Amino acid sequence: MSSRDQILGKLREAKRPFPTISPPAVHQAVVPLSDTSPAALQARFVQEAEKVACVVHQVDRAAAAIAVILQIVGQDTAVSSWDAAYIPLPGFADALDKANIRRVGQDADVRVGITGVDAALATTGSLVVLSGNGRFRASSLLPPVHIAVLTASQIVPDLESWWVAQKTAGLAQTRQHSNIAIITGPSRTADIAMQLVLGMHGPRELHLVLL
Amino acid sequence: MHTDFFLYICVICVYLCPILERVAMKVQSKNFIPAARIAINDVDLQTAVATGTDSAFTKRQAAMYAVSQEHGQTLRQQAAAIKRYALNNLPELLEQAEANMQANGIQVLWAADAAEANRHVLEIAQRHDVRSVVKSKSMVTEEVGLNHALEAASIDVLETDLGEYIVQLGGETPSHIVAPIVHKTKDSIRDLLIAKADMPPTDDVNEMTRFARKTLRQKFLAADMGVSGGNFILAETGSIGLVMNEGNGRMVTSLPRVHVALVGIEKMVPTVADYALLTQVLPRSATGQQLAVYTHLVNGPRQPGETDGPEHVYVILVDNGRSQIYNTDYAEALACIRCGACLNGCPVYQVAGGHAYGWVYSGPIGAVLTPLFTGLENASPLPHASTLCGMCKQVCPVDIDIPRMLLDLRHELVQRGQSDAVWNVGMKAWAFGNRSPGRFVFGGKVAAKATNLLKPKSLPGPLGGWTRYRATPKFAPKSFHQLWRERQGRDDNEQS
Repeated sequence: MSSRDQILGKLREAKRPFPTISPPAVHQAVVPLSDTSPAALQARFVQEAEKVACVVHQVDRAAAAIAVILQIVGQDTAVSSWDAAYIPLPGFADALDKANIRRVGQDADVRVGITGVDAALATTGSLVVLSGNGRFRASSLLPPVHIAVLTASQIVPDLESWWVAQKTAGLAQTRQHSNIAIITGPSRTADIAMQLVLGMHGPRELHLVLL
Repeated sequence: MHTDFFLYICVICVYLCPILERVAMKVQSKNFIPAARIAINDVDLQTAVATGTDSAFTKRQAAMYAVSQEHGQTLRQQAAAIKRYALNNLPELLEQAEANMQANGIQVLWAADAAEANRHVLEIAQRHDVRSVVKSKSMVTEEVGLNHALEAASIDVLETDLGEYIVQLGGETPSHIVAPIVHKTKDSIRDLLIAKADMPPTDDVNEMTRFARKTLRQKFLAADMGVSGGNFILAETGSIGLVMNEGNGRMVTSLPRVHVALVGIEKMVPTVADYALLTQVLPRSATGQQLAVYTHLVNGPRQPGETDGPEHVYVILVDNGRSQIYNTDYAEALACIRCGACLNGCPVYQVAGGHAYGWVYSGPIGAVLTPLFTGLENASPLPHASTLCGMCKQVCPVDIDIPRMLLDLRHELVQRGQSDAVWNVGMKAWAFGNRSPGRFVFGGKVAAKATNLLKPKSLPGPLGGWTRYRATPKFAPKSFHQLWRERQGRDDNEQS
């Protein structure tokens, strides 16, 4: 008998441990949110993201967003960047080309990574980042500086509502992405004497360029 | 070719000889009392553990009850119901998860015990010509002794969580489920990094961390295989849920060609809504964060068109005694989500530290899990390593009744005749004295007379342990019964 059958067999033969327990009919929101207007969501997202040590750049025009990005990239000649199609910033590719900044996929040695996001979560200041063709995992992970470009319309209330939306659209679609990373602030550790240090393995700086 | 052959021989050796595993997961829980005594006299350990547990505990309370006491309690109740419902339907959820993982392109293997889990990993390593492995933090790999099995097969294995990396450098084991080096001070970590990893001398935690980042980054980029654990398996989508702050788990599951996740069979979560709740309650309870920095889901190997991510993803579903525990009154212990809150809140863990518990899991939940996994006879002091103050149950995000299980385990020890001889005699004497009112009153009188006349500085014999650090109790000259009777007589007289 295979181990699989043996394990499942033992579990089936056992007395069920909690026959009277049923799952919650309605899941309690972990952070209840009363005002879900776009303005309130944006304000909350910015507040929470800053609490977890993100640097938020709120800009109203694409040109201003590009200026912020170029300033962070500085004198670097290459960045690890997603395909421009997945970065909601018109003129992004042209601007980098014009500044002679190469866009590479997953070079481990570049200092700055640039990505878009799939969604942003207001109550926790988080980014939902899905992997895929032209959406490199490395860009949000390997460089010490990560710039995420997003629009205010991408902000949803919380993790719960993001999953509800996924389920409505069909979970089969979500599962096609080999990896889902929900990022809340820059990488951190407190393993040594409970002292907080940013940038343990992932980025030390997380810049959010919010249009 | 030679190395291939060598690897092949090693795989065969491990296949034939489960001794390797037994060495790796050696249980030293019998030594709890002497080990705890050493820990109590270790000033560094006392400082480090007190700081660590106190900080985590305070942050937890603030995060769990950030909205309100009622809201926090509702979250606990719902998390508890989700885990128990999942356990109740465990075989069905395992089958659903397996089918969904396979549909996602994940290869699912089952391991009845530690030896089989290690064998699977070694076979995968051989199939994909793996020379080096990077690991993210996983308690189940500690449990099965995976590192030893890999090393025995001459495969380099490197822990990449900062705490686990330092544990590995020092040849130690983790002393806390969440914070593996909570027992170490900054100075001892600095000295270890200088001695074992050639770190340029520095006293700055930022620089130490940067050094580790640089050293480990090279290993990540060169590794052939990544090994992770799994905090959750989502049955509904066939995803592996991981929770981390450093990002090493993302690297382990993204950079090497092959990713293997070892996951206990009890980690099943039915729906994405259940997952959304649990994955937020876990970091709140562990470190007081709303969400961990990386709340990470692995759905499968890289898709066509993707240029990064592993080509092969394996999940090994590890039983190793869980199906046995499932069929006992201790099944509740399988609901544990490994947040460490019961360790941080426990007055015994706070002074004894994690190593005294003598196996992988420490603190209150370890005092339950260790006897269940390794045999009560091998961990007989642990059910007594508790004051039964109830803090562990109160802070548990899934409301596991740890004190109840510790009492049941003590009961089993007595029934098996494995309790302490002095203790047995004492309890028998106590029971004899309390079974008849006459003996009870007589005993009280003797104790009152003796303590009032002799005024002893300490109690005699085995009772001396009580008075070593406490004032010797003095019995009141008159018992409550006596006073009551006299009082009643007086009241009756006044009324008449």
